[in-house]
Amino acid sequence: MLVNSLSEPGAWPVETCFNAHATKLKVEVECVCPRANSNTSDWKPSWSGQRTMDLGDFEADNSVSCRLASAIPEVCRSEDCCLGIDEAGRGPVLGPMVYGISFCPISRKDDLKNMKVADSKTLSEVERETLFQKLDEAKSFVGWALQILSPNTISTSMLQRAKYNLNALSHDAAIGLVQYTLDCGVQLKEVFVDTVGPAEKYQEKLSKRFPGVEVTVRPKADSLFPIVSAASICAKVARDHVVKSWGFVEDLGEVDTDYGSGYPNDPKTKSWLQKSLDPVFGYPQFVRFSWSTAKTLLDTRAVPVRWDDDEEDGEKAAARMHCSSMLSYFSREKPGGSVRETHRFFSERRLQSLDSL
Amino acid sequence: MSSNGSVTLLQLGSVVQADKPQVHLLPCEIEQDGPAEVSRYFTSAVKDRKHEMSVSFRGRGLKGQEVSCPQAYTGLVLKEDHKPTTDQEDRTVRVSSVFHHFTYWNLETQPTSDDAVVMAMAWPELAEAIHGSVDDR
Amino acid sequence: MTTKKKRSLNIQNDRWVAIAADSVVDASKTDASDPVFVRLKNPATDVASLYLFGSGDSQLYEVKAFDEDYHSWFVGQTVQRDGRLLYITPMDPLYLLLPYLIKAVKEGKFQPIQQLVMDEDFPACSRLLSCTQTQASLHHVAEEKEVGSQRFHRYSQEKTMEWLKKKVDKTVKVLKKSNISVGGGVKSTTYIRMKQESDAQEEDYLRYAHGLISEYISEDLSKELLKTLRLPEISSPKESEPPTKKRKLSDKPVEAGEDYTKFNSADFTRKSWGSGISKLETHFASIGTGGLGIGKREASIHFHRNVL
Repeated sequence: MLVNSLSEPGAWPVETCFNAHATKLKVEVECVCPRANSNTSDWKPSWSGQRTMDLGDFEADNSVSCRLASAIPEVCRSEDCCLGIDEAGRGPVLGPMVYGISFCPISRKDDLKNMKVADSKTLSEVERETLFQKLDEAKSFVGWALQILSPNTISTSMLQRAKYNLNALSHDAAIGLVQYTLDCGVQLKEVFVDTVGPAEKYQEKLSKRFPGVEVTVRPKADSLFPIVSAASICAKVARDHVVKSWGFVEDLGEVDTDYGSGYPNDPKTKSWLQKSLDPVFGYPQFVRFSWSTAKTLLDTRAVPVRWDDDEEDGEKAAARMHCSSMLSYFSREKPGGSVRETHRFFSERRLQSLDSL
Repeated sequence: MSSNGSVTLLQLGSVVQADKPQVHLLPCEIEQDGPAEVSRYFTSAVKDRKHEMSVSFRGRGLKGQEVSCPQAYTGLVLKEDHKPTTDQEDRTVRVSSVFHHFTYWNLETQPTSDDAVVMAMAWPELAEAIHGSVDDR
Repeated sequence: MTTKKKRSLNIQNDRWVAIAADSVVDASKTDASDPVFVRLKNPATDVASLYLFGSGDSQLYEVKAFDEDYHSWFVGQTVQRDGRLLYITPMDPLYLLLPYLIKAVKEGKFQPIQQLVMDEDFPACSRLLSCTQTQASLHHVAEEKEVGSQRFHRYSQEKTMEWLKKKVDKTVKVLKKSNISVGGGVKSTTYIRMKQESDAQEEDYLRYAHGLISEYISEDLSKELLKTLRLPEISSPKESEPPTKKRKLSDKPVEAGEDYTKFNSADFTRKSWGSGISKLETHFASIGTGGLGIGKREASIHFHRNVL
């Protein structure tokens, strides 16, 4: 239900039409992240090397989901195109998950291949940076777009009353990006998707959603199809940059940034989680609270926090909210045994007498 | 026979020393009393867009609304520094904080005037009707 | 650990968040002694409730708690588990004095008020006599006699009803000015059918105000007040006749009850309830006029639950 509603165009908090105009190395991006005063030139590089991807819009508010995109190559609006989808940062307990797409005319597939794009996981960070730069230089025929799902979006979605799981989140992100390219006039004919889940079901879902587009969902697609490799490089580069220079929305002062890759089994990540835990708040929004790693630490080491929907699904919670016997809760037993009901003015307002301070 | 003979003194002299903190009402029970890094983790992360306030706590999305104390009413935080050992003894509380508005947070839902905490703000006005003197005529 | 339960009662709070009438605090500017929280006998429940005497006992306050499950406070850089919000609002001491006066009237004679208001279970009750409002309004509920320098009092039901009626009227006035929804409660068709639509709403207000005042008086007085207000008694929703009975009185189909308990206004503005309710009232009024042509007092009374 939720999945559908979110997959509708416009359900993502993203403006559908982008004013993308590319400048030399910087890719102008549009983003929904509302910001009072964004000044991307304020950005300070936190790693060596050139920054070819401008993440300023996400960094202006990294608590929400954000879409970044390159300009649409003109040729993609007139020629049949293929598009690859891949994700980066599905497993880590820290930082965002990034969905990436990359697209080019089917006729230029070989050009892409010649750029030696490969599965981002087989590449070093420097190689990925270099390849992303190459892709950016090929902007006359290669376009890309990203959906950055902030860790806060992941936490609050997965933990919300009506649970929204990671697969649904991922699928909706992918669908949103494909829809975006269609809305921009890209002549989409082939879509290649890398998946971790069951490929058939996902393929069926996407084929149904995008009739007229040939969808191929395949495990390891990022090593099989160059266009998916390109997408995986874009996603991975974005994720790396965001994690490396994470701007904590919290006012943490001197913060230990030696948190490693963010994967739960990374010793650096483990020890960072151990020492960063606050007994009341748990963690900053950088941490995915919905990950079992974080949950376990909170359950054992933080102050217990109870919500009205604990241990019950959304429907039950809603039913309880409505049916909770407000009357019995508020009715008072008189010594004689007879019960006088508290007037609804008070029961509706949850106002009660007190017998002591 | 009962502890009804003991009273609790409210030390008003303490008002002048009371601080004026930010006050938030959260939609969860936090099983803790005491210091908390509220400004480090919480108030610094509050987003206020077009008067829609949002934040998250422990990975759950909250939506907030500021409410003011009813007219001619003041928010007080009362603190009991020493608990007597028996319920026969008188107690003493002081005013540790004073506030004039606070922010209440709903779990995921947008605050509305139907929220019980907002509706409860109507109580003082009605109490005045129920308890004010009636005409002597 | 994760079992759902209400905040256990034996947790010792040492901090409370409250909203108090400014007069409680303003007393610090005078020489009056500090306010005190006391336990007095709640006139509606006969058990102990918390009150506060302020300005050297000259003003009484009631203490209520807004108490919704699963709430906690952040106050500055601290967390407070107890998410209640206390309200400290001025209270009319006469409500608390009435049970003592009524108890004494059985002896039938005039007595000095100090003698009437004594209670070893609630020793603080004598402080009620220091309240300015007590002195000024005792005559509303008791007959007075002055012999020499001493004053004597005797409870008067008649006076008390007059006084309570004024309380109800005053409350109705405030309710009408407020955004509080008084419709949707239990009411009788008898009252409505005698009157026009506006009076149908009048009954809602009267009943609502009566219900509020009844929070401060005994059940007996509450019933007596209902008679004084000429409102037919509805002892409990269960005893009222089901809505099907009502249908027999009217050929018109009964409109599906709109849910007046909810209006989730996104704009956070308060709305008037008038228009929606009056539609329903019109319907009741029509039931009335087409119904039995008997005078109100003799009428056999038909009850139904309106909405909900």
